[in-house]
Amino acid sequence: MIGYILTKQEQRKIQGKEFAPFERFNCVQDINDVWFNFVTEQQIPLVKASQYAWVLDLPQGEYVPKPTPNPFL
Amino acid sequence: MILASHGIIGSSIGQKPIVSDSDAQAFIDRVYTAGGTLSTIEADAVNDLVIDMKADGIWTKMKAIYPMVGASSAACAQNLKSSSFTGTFNGGVTYSSLGVTGNGTSGYMDTQLIPDNELTLNDTHLCAYIRDNSQGNFYDLGTNDNATTFRPLFKFNVRTNSNNWESLQYSFDSSQILNTPNTDSRGFYLASRISSTSFKNYKNNSLVGTRTNANNQSRISKWSVNLMASNNNGTTGEFSPRQYAYFSIGDGLTDTEASNYYTAVQTFNTTLNREV
Repeated sequence: MIGYILTKQEQRKIQGKEFAPFERFNCVQDINDVWFNFVTEQQIPLVKASQYAWVLDLPQGEYVPKPTPNPFL
Repeated sequence: MILASHGIIGSSIGQKPIVSDSDAQAFIDRVYTAGGTLSTIEADAVNDLVIDMKADGIWTKMKAIYPMVGASSAACAQNLKSSSFTGTFNGGVTYSSLGVTGNGTSGYMDTQLIPDNELTLNDTHLCAYIRDNSQGNFYDLGTNDNATTFRPLFKFNVRTNSNNWESLQYSFDSSQILNTPNTDSRGFYLASRISSTSFKNYKNNSLVGTRTNANNQSRISKWSVNLMASNNNGTTGEFSPRQYAYFSIGDGLTDTEASNYYTAVQTFNTTLNREV
């Protein structure tokens, strides 16, 4: 899955921030602890119209998730 | 004619629909105030759903209902039952007339509903209507905290990689987990606990699993319920990629109520041409 790659500073700027009514960014770390942001096709115009349009200019890369944690540990 | 019998009193294309039930109308009003819209078919389907649930005595057992209509975050975030627990979507989520779809990596909705504050121990349910067939180690909805040894879990995944519907209310003690074999994630799912010793899984119109071991937890999670993921002690994870056409959270339902609830929700989704 392809996502936008963020630095720690960029992640801090947008994590939990509202880019449209009822919609917030939620960045996640990949298997190497690199921050990724995902925006669906439907959300792109909303992000473009927001103060966070710059996130669409960030480099993109392949997201490899961390192994699923055992919820019972 | 369903609409006639339920007294639809008027609606028109492009304008806010007007329906007969005051609670359904209040929901429609909230959608429009939030900036969303509904088709007349969606509004009428919501109206019929509320009327059916009231007739069956189910309405009062609901704390939050997310009918996932309107094809927008503004509409899908609204709680049909009341103006409380309006959701917030986070990460990658897609909205359509078929419901909402997570991206499996970051997308979810926070309901703001904290079970320990809003629900009664040994009298709870979780419900989801799922439109696609997939397996994985993620959660369809839920929450847990890590405060006690066996953690007050309140969540489910209808098809794990082990082809089980893993249902938890409220402990991960092996005597408490309700694992029901399931090889197709599509359908109406209701996990209901009506007493310390009665915890049941219903899929569509069938009872598919029962636990009678006494609940060994003294409370429910203190973290809010997330949809399309799990709120794990304040950190959301285990994101689902599934498509959802309905969710609810509330009091426990009996066998009869579960059957009536299935019929009402199935009729609702059939009206919207998104039944499975």
